[in-house]
Amino acid sequence: MFDGAKDQTALVRMDGLHKSFGPVRVLQGLDIEMKRGDRVVVIGPSGGGKSTLLRVLMGLENINAGSISFGGQPYISVKDGKTVIDPKVRRSIGMVFQHYTLFPHLSVLQNLILAPCKVNGESASGAKERARALLTRFGLGAKADAYPNQLSGGQKQRVAIARALMLDPKLMLFDEVTSALDPELVAEVEQVMLELAAQDMPMVIVTHDMWFARNIASRVIFCAGGVVVEDGPPEQVLGSPIHERTREFINRVFHIRT
Amino acid sequence: MELDFSIVLRFADALAYGLWLTIRLTLICIITGGALGFLLALARRSKNRLLRGASTVYVEFFRGTPVLIQLFWIFFCLPIILGVELSSFVSGVIALTLYTAAITSETFRSSLGTVSREQIDACVALGLPARVQVTSVVLPQALLRAMPTLLSNTISLFKESSLVSAVGMADLMFVGQNISNNTARPVEMLTAVALIYFAVAFPLTRAVSVLEGRILRKLAA
Repeated sequence: MFDGAKDQTALVRMDGLHKSFGPVRVLQGLDIEMKRGDRVVVIGPSGGGKSTLLRVLMGLENINAGSISFGGQPYISVKDGKTVIDPKVRRSIGMVFQHYTLFPHLSVLQNLILAPCKVNGESASGAKERARALLTRFGLGAKADAYPNQLSGGQKQRVAIARALMLDPKLMLFDEVTSALDPELVAEVEQVMLELAAQDMPMVIVTHDMWFARNIASRVIFCAGGVVVEDGPPEQVLGSPIHERTREFINRVFHIRT
Repeated sequence: MELDFSIVLRFADALAYGLWLTIRLTLICIITGGALGFLLALARRSKNRLLRGASTVYVEFFRGTPVLIQLFWIFFCLPIILGVELSSFVSGVIALTLYTAAITSETFRSSLGTVSREQIDACVALGLPARVQVTSVVLPQALLRAMPTLLSNTISLFKESSLVSAVGMADLMFVGQNISNNTARPVEMLTAVALIYFAVAFPLTRAVSVLEGRILRKLAA
């Protein structure tokens, strides 16, 4: 469904990303190359830079050094200490956040069509038609005219995913999208993400759910101390990690969960 | 002491006239003052230091002086300075508008501050240009959140507008006081006037809490 999903050329290249919040150095020379068919799950201790990595990739944070290219085009760079972001390239990336960021004053349908109408100049009727189809696909057909406060957390996250998909992104970023959900609502959101994965949508996912990571990832990256410590297929990184630090983290996580 | 509340009914027309002036004054000034207050709130959050400084001085000045002196100044000094006669209604509207602008600008300023960083992140992630972020996301939410406080501001204005009686405008307070003086029936008349103010203000204060609950629930999503 998504063009070039089987293509093995680089979709995203991150080179030497450095990012500090005041004295705290969060990213310390991060290099990641992502291919078009990759579904990357980023794991690691909190404060290790996972969420910052996604926010930088979305163009929400300035960086101190480094560059990112997307689909072979320059996307983010640093010139004279200032972060330069190409807004056109940014539009081909979609993101879903941990805390539902639906617009509370707009109905579900209005949330979905706002960007297509205002950014791409799509007609309201055309956008509404696409939105309804997408909502129906996600089991939310009956909720089109509801307001966000009338939805469960799981429904809100599915709407947020649908809203991002309305812009036909070439890459989707998921930042701990199930962390704030009640346990019984997690599955319905993960189901939607697995469905996107089945259609070869490239994605970068930050999650604490190792079971889900193993299921959806084509590749797992362990980030700690602002650098990539280990990078490989899920069986390796989650099953038999090479690095001591990864092993410690994985053992601790699974120990807590059992 | 013998009380005769039937006297109130005899002057019902005059009281209704006064109430109507009070209501007109309140409605006009909350609209004009609210609009000006909204612009002031934007100016106070502006990056331009001059704009920020001037608007802050304005707001602090009008909040820091009695409304009564503001009214007297507009009624008696402004015509001298401008060299034009202003009708008392126009003077009243100008004075209360300037005052209401200072009060409502604080309402708008705090509601603008409550639109969360995450909402802006969502806008950026959707590629919304800055103008659309403001017009479609920030302003509607800020206005919605300001509604209960604006309604409270309206109730305060409704009550404070009674000060215009001091400069001879025939509002509810002025009419009541006049009848009370001329009939020597202060207990009946002034009680009636207080009850009329209360009868209008009380349902509105109840509406504020209902509105507040509904809006907060909506924006909590």
